[in-house]
Order: sequence, then structure tokens, then C-alpha cells
Amino acid sequence: MRTHRYWLRAGLVCASLLLLAGCDDGSGDPRAQIGPNPKLPEIRQFLLPPIHIARVVGWQKGETPKVAQGLKIEPLATGLQHPRSLYTLPNGDVLVVESKAPKAAAIKRPKEIVMGYVESWATSGGSTGESNRITLLRDTNGDGIPDTPSVFLDHLNSPFGVALVGNDLYVANTDAIVRYPYKEGDTKITAPGETLTPLPGGPIDHHWTKSLVASPDGNLLYVGVGSNSNITENGMEAEHNRAAILEVDRATGRFRIFASGLRNPNGLSFEPQSHALWTVVNERDEIGPDLVPDYMTSVKDGAFYGWPYSYFGHHLDPRVQPQRPDLVDKAIVPDYALSSHVAPLGLAFYTGINLPEQYRGGAFVGEHGSWNRQVLNGYKVVFVPFANGKPNGMAQDVVTGFLNDNDQARGRPVGLAVDKAGGLLIADDVGNTVWRVTSAGSGTSPAARL
Amino acid sequence: MRFAVTTYEERPVATARIATHPIHPMLVPIPIVCFIGALITDITYAVSAEMMWANFSAWLLLAGLIFGVLAAIAGLIDVLGNRRVRAQWPVWPHLIGNLAVLVLAFFNVLIHTRDAWTSVVPTGLILSIVTVLILPVTGWLGWEMVYRRGVGVAR
Repeated sequence: MRTHRYWLRAGLVCASLLLLAGCDDGSGDPRAQIGPNPKLPEIRQFLLPPIHIARVVGWQKGETPKVAQGLKIEPLATGLQHPRSLYTLPNGDVLVVESKAPKAAAIKRPKEIVMGYVESWATSGGSTGESNRITLLRDTNGDGIPDTPSVFLDHLNSPFGVALVGNDLYVANTDAIVRYPYKEGDTKITAPGETLTPLPGGPIDHHWTKSLVASPDGNLLYVGVGSNSNITENGMEAEHNRAAILEVDRATGRFRIFASGLRNPNGLSFEPQSHALWTVVNERDEIGPDLVPDYMTSVKDGAFYGWPYSYFGHHLDPRVQPQRPDLVDKAIVPDYALSSHVAPLGLAFYTGINLPEQYRGGAFVGEHGSWNRQVLNGYKVVFVPFANGKPNGMAQDVVTGFLNDNDQARGRPVGLAVDKAGGLLIADDVGNTVWRVTSAGSGTSPAARL
Repeated sequence: MRFAVTTYEERPVATARIATHPIHPMLVPIPIVCFIGALITDITYAVSAEMMWANFSAWLLLAGLIFGVLAAIAGLIDVLGNRRVRAQWPVWPHLIGNLAVLVLAFFNVLIHTRDAWTSVVPTGLILSIVTVLILPVTGWLGWEMVYRRGVGVAR
């Protein structure tokens, strides 16, 4: 009976959404597109691209994501306003960046009206109030349950990345890197920020999240700037200094393009063994349910990774004119595909010791989840094992259950961080929660202690 | 020169009308202008690769489709509402031709929702050309009905 109703509803959804495109989008096994050599099908173009976004239902009381064996998960903070990224301060305080998309630019063509409506189904879990701020979580007695969350920094402009160097706290708003004075133990910043450098922001600000990381020596900042379109449909002039990782001189604010052709780079992190800069990248949409795989890659100085002209090396995208064969020639194949449309937005190398041995030195990836394929992909946190500074083996599901059995979204993972005690933190911008994953055997669980 | 003469009594009345003014001919110029305009902006985009022109095409096609459907509704009311309109032979190829225009425009609107180059080249541009090639034929048949057979003409 239950499955009967499910199929009826699934059928209705398909019928209404895909009157023309058909219910079966002909996608293959998503796992065939994980690793260094993803299977890439031929490009397909559509009258209506496959669109399927998990409808938001939120977390019911007591529900949590599912974790792999040997792990446990608990909510660290709930009732947040669209938490998107996390940062652990040296004293163990956790910064939760709550952020909303900037105001949309003037509509350029009818499609944007429809896409705006479609996105409104998915992005927010109910009405969000005050956002664009950073909330501080402090666990004074170390019991794994933070004290009452407090507002650390407010009135920001669609912030995402945070980096602390000495007493300088940098916040990457969507339009600028701003520096604030910070002393260890501060719970609130009231000083006005000082702009280190403006970043490509509006009026068109398509991929607006600016991921931020400081170089190990603290002299440089690396900031991810996403493209201003899916595939140049807002014109090439809108892409100035975008689809790139910028390297910013911390002393002067002067920046240069460190690497380009990265459509939407997020989760900038230094790999602990090789000390190379890594990023996860959201690749292009609307050329098939299995194109193009999103990926994680080490980022080389001066390298070009394809966007918009080509993907995964030299696969040309026919939607881009004029083409640039000179750039395509030198396009680098990314290191590790994560499967198509999974939307990786968070990356954290595990350097803690709380989680079981197998996770040490590898990378966790927060996959926000797909919209451009019928069979949902992503909506989970995966683990990619590393050896000698390189991915070594198949990605494993670590935190799932963000979707319920009816493919409805209880939450969606975004940014990741590792806290001082070695727990893995997950920002869930649809469930408005920060989750904490720890070893099942470790410490006393708050519930057991009561 | 010889003229086909019809008397007032013989002229078929348009059913969809406002104060004896038939609605169908009021609406028909809008899709015609939009579809011709979209062909021009499509060609300009194909030559320049400047996205602005493809955006214009997308708006023109959508506006043309909406007003084309409204014009078709008014025209269908005239066809269904008066046996003497149906008795005019040009009404059928006019109807079928313009239906084809709307179907082509519908698919062209969808093609133009793609991003960048392939929203126009080649499929969108081909559809725009075919659409515009049909228009003078169906237009001629429409004028035949109004100017020679007096459909909807009051006096």
C-alpha cells in the first residue's frame, strides 16, 4: 500500500515536471563517475533539461542523519539561519557562517523567472529570518554540547569563507575580503571591518560563495570565486576574475589569478601531507544527467582547468563561442571525479584523532545534492581516502539520510570543519543545523550522561 | 482590373469582435513582428556571439508565442462561430499553417532556454527561419479572406 502510494506520487511528479523530457533521463551508475577516470557519456542537449530537486521537509524531532559504522552523530546547534560554512578557532570555539544568496540581478531572459521559481523549492527550509551573520558556538565544559549560541559578527554581505591569521580574522563576503581584529576568547566582534580587497560581486553574482583559506605561512590568502553563469550565458565580460582561485597578498590586498577554469571552486584546503592547495569544484549543467562530473583536485599555480571551453581536459563544450583552442590545449584533467551534479561545497582533510584510524589523513566532502538529473545524486557527506597526498581508493558514504525514503530533503550538507576535539562538523543549510560526527566509542554521549 | 464583389449580406461575420471590430486581425501583427524580430536577433547573435541578441530572441519568441496563442483563440472562435467562415477554403490552410507556426515557436522557445551558443545555433536559428518562411503564406491566405472575401468586414 505504502509503496503503491509512493509510485503513484513519483509518477505524478514525473508527469508534471517532465511532460516533455520523459521520466527516465537515461542516467547511468553514478559510481562509475567517481575517481580519477570517470566514464563520460556523449553530450545531450534538451528541450527541457531533467529537473528534480528534493522537496524540503526538514528534520522531525529526534531524527538525525545516518552515519557509517563506528561513528555517531548529534546535532551541535539547531534553529540556525541557513548555515553554510564552519570554522574552528584555536581555542575550540566554532564559527557558523549563516548566509543567504545576494539579491538577484535584473532578469535577462524568461528562463531566469522559471529557474528562480524552481530554486525557491529547494534552498531554504521554511522562512529564514536574520542571516548573513556569524554565530559562535562555545562548549565551556567540554561535554559536547555548546552553551547558548551567540552572535559573533553581524550585518555581513552573503559571507562564506573565514580565515584567522594571528590576530586578523578574515571574512570573505560575496563582494570583498574584510579583516577584523580578533583576540583569543572573543565572543563578539564590534570593531568595524577593514576591506582587504574587493572581490567580484554584483550586480550579477551567480555563484556567490567565496571560499577562503590562508597559506600555511600566513602571508597569502586563497579565495575561490565562482563563475557568473552556467556556461557564459551572461556574456564573457561578466566572468572577469571569476571561475578562478585568486591569491591575495595579505599585506597589501593585491591579488592575482592563481588558477582558472574552475567553474565554482569551494572548500579550499591544504592537504596535510603534500601541503598542496585542494578544492572541490561544481561543474557545468544541462548537458546530461551524467555530465559533467563535479570533482576535487589539487590546484597548481597558473593552471587552467577548462571552464568554460572544455571539461575534464579536452572535452569541448559546444555552447561556448568563440572557442579558445589555445586554452583548451593546456587544460588540466582534475585529480578525482565525485560524480555528476552532486554539488560538492565542503571539503575537510581529517587531521584529528577522534575518528577511527581509517579516516585519518583523508578528505571529507559535503555534497549539497543534485537538481539536474532525475535520480538524485549527492545529498550526503563522503570520505575520500588519501595516501601520499593523493586520493587512494573509492569514495565512501559517511553521512547519509539527508533524504528520507521518499527522496524528500530533511537537510542538505554544505561546509565542513574539524573541531578541536577531532569531531567532524557539518553545516546543514536546509535543516538549519550543525551536525557533529564522532567516533561511536569516544567519550560519553550527552544522552548517556543524563 | 476586375474585382471580386461581395455584397454586405454575403460577408461572413467574425464572432470574436469588439463593437463590430474583429479581434483576430488586431492580434495577428504582434506574433508576426515578434517572430520576424526573433529571426533578425538570432542572425545577429549567430554573427556576433553577443549574448544580448540571444536574450532578445528569447523574449521575442515568448511574446510572439503568447500573442500568437491569443490570436489563434480569436481566430478559432471565428471559425467555430460561423458556418460561412468555415465555407471559405483559405481558412483551412491558413489555420493549419499558423498552427504549425505556433508549434515551431513553442519548440523554439524551449531551444532558446538552453544556455549560450546552442540556444540559437543551429536548431533555434533553423526553427526561426522556417517559422518566418511560413508567415507570408498564411498571411496571404488571411488577407485573401479579409480583402477579397470580406470575412469580418462590416461594410
